[in-house]
Amino acid sequence: MQIFLLILFGFLSGIIGGMGMGGGTLLTPLLSFLDLEQKTIQAINLISFLPMCCVALGFHAKNKLIKTGHIWWIIIPAVAMAVAGALCADMATNKILRMCFAAFLISVGIWQLVVAIKFIVKNKKQSNLPVIAQPMLPSVILDAESNTHDQKRKK
Amino acid sequence: MNLSAKNKWILVIFSAVAGFVNGFLGGGGGVIVVALLLSAIKLNQKNAQATALLVILPLTLVSAAVYIFKGLVDWTPTLWVTLGVVTGGIVGALLLSKLKSNVIKIIFAIVLIAGGIKMFF
Repeated sequence: MQIFLLILFGFLSGIIGGMGMGGGTLLTPLLSFLDLEQKTIQAINLISFLPMCCVALGFHAKNKLIKTGHIWWIIIPAVAMAVAGALCADMATNKILRMCFAAFLISVGIWQLVVAIKFIVKNKKQSNLPVIAQPMLPSVILDAESNTHDQKRKK
Repeated sequence: MNLSAKNKWILVIFSAVAGFVNGFLGGGGGVIVVALLLSAIKLNQKNAQATALLVILPLTLVSAAVYIFKGLVDWTPTLWVTLGVVTGGIVGALLLSKLKSNVIKIIFAIVLIAGGIKMFF
């Protein structure tokens, strides 16, 4: 049963992770249902992400979705601080890590919810405008968010 | 596109936060990186989500190396979860270019809030 749940939780998180939406943020609370320590869960999360990431990147590269401009401004400081974070995690207790992750999840969840609802409301307002006032964008192909960003860039 | 000095600082500071969060909590940095790619580099949603994976890969690699070096890894459950994650990752990557993301985002956000509340107790 435990093996089935491990694979199932991994599969569900993999779907979200493969879409680049943060599969790790889903895998950790799912694995907390099982009898595993927080540090073990975090290690599972990190290691299982690596092969999935390589596979997903292959698909995204094929679909030309990856844009590498200015990416080093993100990668270099992030990698340096990731090492610091991992060393701090080793020193912290499982309870502290669990509480920190819970607070992080709730914050991210509320933030994502607000952003998604804002986009939906904005999209509805745009669709209520007369057809002539709408920009000549391929809105059938692009989703609401892509439209918003494209419009901003054009401005 | 040229980055302004202000945007460069925003990138450096928030990337450092994303890196620390990813190392300390074993994940979660991707959400911050996607937001950065959207706001500071002005990528559209799908490009930001795909590119975030490229950013997260090296920082996950170094974090995982620290966890392995410190002996925090239990390999048996890790291998089973990895099997599921890789399979799900292929499905997710195929879906990204086909699905509208707003509905998924709302469902995902609710799951995160519920997961966070559950972890507190």
